[in-house]
Amino acid sequence: MSLYDAFNLFLWAILATALAGIVAPLLGAHLLLRRTGLYGLVLPQFASAGVALGYALLPWWVARVGLGGLSLEEALADPHAVSNLLLGFAALTTGLGLGFQALFARARATESARAAAAFAVAGAATLLLAERSPLGAEYVDSLLRGEVLAVGVHEFEIIAAAFGLALVLLLRFQNALLLGGFDPDTARVLGLGTRRTDALLLIITGLVVATGTVIVGPMVLFSLLVIPPLGARALARSQRGFFAWTTVLGLLSAACGLALSFGLDLPLGPAVAVGSASVSAAGWLASRRPRSAGHPLPPRSVQQRAVG
Amino acid sequence: MLLRARSASFGYAGRAFLDGVDFELRAGDIAAVVGPNGAGKTTLLRGLIGLIAPIRGSVELDRTRVGYVPQREALDPLYPLTTRDVVQLGAFGRLTRWGTLRAADRGRAADALARVGLADRAHTLFSALSGGQRQRSLIARALLMDPTVLFLDEPTSGADPIAAADVMELVASLAREHGLAVVLVAHHLSAVRAHTDRALFVHCGRVEAGHLHELDDPVRALHLFRGEGAHTH
Repeated sequence: MSLYDAFNLFLWAILATALAGIVAPLLGAHLLLRRTGLYGLVLPQFASAGVALGYALLPWWVARVGLGGLSLEEALADPHAVSNLLLGFAALTTGLGLGFQALFARARATESARAAAAFAVAGAATLLLAERSPLGAEYVDSLLRGEVLAVGVHEFEIIAAAFGLALVLLLRFQNALLLGGFDPDTARVLGLGTRRTDALLLIITGLVVATGTVIVGPMVLFSLLVIPPLGARALARSQRGFFAWTTVLGLLSAACGLALSFGLDLPLGPAVAVGSASVSAAGWLASRRPRSAGHPLPPRSVQQRAVG
Repeated sequence: MLLRARSASFGYAGRAFLDGVDFELRAGDIAAVVGPNGAGKTTLLRGLIGLIAPIRGSVELDRTRVGYVPQREALDPLYPLTTRDVVQLGAFGRLTRWGTLRAADRGRAADALARVGLADRAHTLFSALSGGQRQRSLIARALLMDPTVLFLDEPTSGADPIAAADVMELVASLAREHGLAVVLVAHHLSAVRAHTDRALFVHCGRVEAGHLHELDDPVRALHLFRGEGAHTH
């Protein structure tokens, strides 16, 4: 198959991954700066548990609630038919994950310990629920591997709508989100309610994680939420530079992942993770080079005093 | 009158920790909030600004014209913000409908940086500045809030005596130039006393308006900082 044919065949999968490569890192940048980067790992796991739950309940749902008049066999034969249902369950469990983090926010444990506990619970729930559904185990396995080749125009429309909205909100409220995280007291003095911006960030996170997990898979999402912002943090010398580098590294990560996946016939999830880590590591190494005269650092003595 | 507190009480969860906040500030006045660690100096500041509502009494202040300089240690160095980025945050209360900074505010940020002597540090990371420089950049940021009253939480903490004196000189000159009233939580009293004698003593759950020279009396100072001895005033 020529490159042109592959591009045409997997057009929607490529576009969905590219969109994830722009939006997920921008969201991850805010999570990283607020020191809640582990949300990028935990919440997709909760969304995966929701997908597994959706599959486990599918027979009951078709029999009792109905799925557009489809029989169970017809629903199972057409993955597009169940994507809306799975999206609903993924959103539900992502909401539960956010609630879990908020509920235990004042627990006597560090953020990382809470995230680890939540990840363990969500991971176990995913496997157990998948085990209860004959098709669930197979589907969750392919979901974790990031098999986006089945992404069609319907799935792309869903991710374009959700990620497009998330992108607009992130760009429109970027400054308010930044100030609310950096200096919440001053944000309140300026009349920018931090509760509103915190809630907005949670809503955007839920939207991106639930949709992204169902369409491109949790591993693609893990990688894009966490790794590009980390690489960008090493490179950036300003607020604008940080968000610009995050976007560039996110897009490069998605492109590298797609190239590795198509070129070497690898699952996309791990390929994006490897691509993202490679691109970010290259960026980090570049940042270790002596700085140009355009970004003067204060004398060493001043830096030491600042640290002290 | 720019700031007036009348029998105000401040606290958390409906329980008052500070009572008897009763004072007034006019343009050009500088008042130092003084007291032992844990007495409630920051609580008083937060109450006056409106970050916590008074449980009793009232605070009269135009809250749209408040300049606030937080403790610089509270600001996370993980944020890759340049000095100019930090100063521009002061104009975030009047962003455009698209959430972007107004062109005029970019110019004002540059002017404010120049006013505090940091024009050449505009592109330096905020986290790489010295303590005194960071404090001055936060004061520049507060200027962008168009304040009539400037609140500073421990602006001289961690600074050497010369840097502390520089920061206080800057605050006093801004108060004169812009007709600001200033309330600051103070540790380096020698630096503060060069510019004001007005004090708000915070001790034993109460706030007393007084004068810094009262601390020259050892008995009075012991009473204010340890709660020991007779009340001499």
